[in-house]
Amino acid sequence: MDFSASYRDASGATSGHNYELEVTVSGQVDPKTGMVIDLKELKELMEREVEARFDHRSLSDDTPYFRDRPPTPETFAALIFSLLDAALPKGSLYRIRLSPTSQLSVEVTR
Amino acid sequence: MIRVIQRYDFSAAHVLARAEWSAARNKAVYGKCANPAGHGHNYSVEIAIEGELDPKTGRILPEGKLDDVVRTKVVRTLDGRFLNRDVPAFAAAVPTAENIARHIWDTVVRDVSPARLVGVRLIETRNNSVEYAGGEELP
Repeated sequence: MDFSASYRDASGATSGHNYELEVTVSGQVDPKTGMVIDLKELKELMEREVEARFDHRSLSDDTPYFRDRPPTPETFAALIFSLLDAALPKGSLYRIRLSPTSQLSVEVTR
Repeated sequence: MIRVIQRYDFSAAHVLARAEWSAARNKAVYGKCANPAGHGHNYSVEIAIEGELDPKTGRILPEGKLDDVVRTKVVRTLDGRFLNRDVPAFAAAVPTAENIARHIWDTVVRDVSPARLVGVRLIETRNNSVEYAGGEELP
């Protein structure tokens, strides 16, 4: 998934990125559907949990999550992991990979 | 667990050949890469580190530290160089993608604390890359 957001860094300067988010879930393949997870459901869940909260928003000003922590790639990735982990079937979230730029990625696992 | 992967680019020339081998043997082992005149690549290296989030900075390494280490110790010493001739590590070790990855690992592994170096991925061309997670010595 791609989305765009801005933030204010420690010096007060405002910057922003086109973020790329990869979500990996793991689990048993359902014998009937042949799927670990319904990708349409996963996509809708990502839209609800991530895109609706952050796309075209300021992480610092438009969301409550960065009042007491700086909006770094690491804290943002850890937040996305916890939001998705709470919304997905228990234990099924394996990894997220958040890429603020093509040079930088942050991976979060359990 | 939080892993940060940062990519850096550099360009360099190399020859894959061992001085003590005949031209025919080098050609047999390394193919066109053994051309003594050398050839070059646009390399990328992805440095992967893991560590604890510092609650104050929100980072696993102080801002700019990884950039400083890799740009100073890796990019500056390899970019625009003929690896076989200009980089002491490749006097004995053939500068294959494998050995370049090991060299980069050895060069930065002690400079990323309090994070830990967990992977070096050296991308030589769009068709070949090497991942190294430590544990071996350069010859």
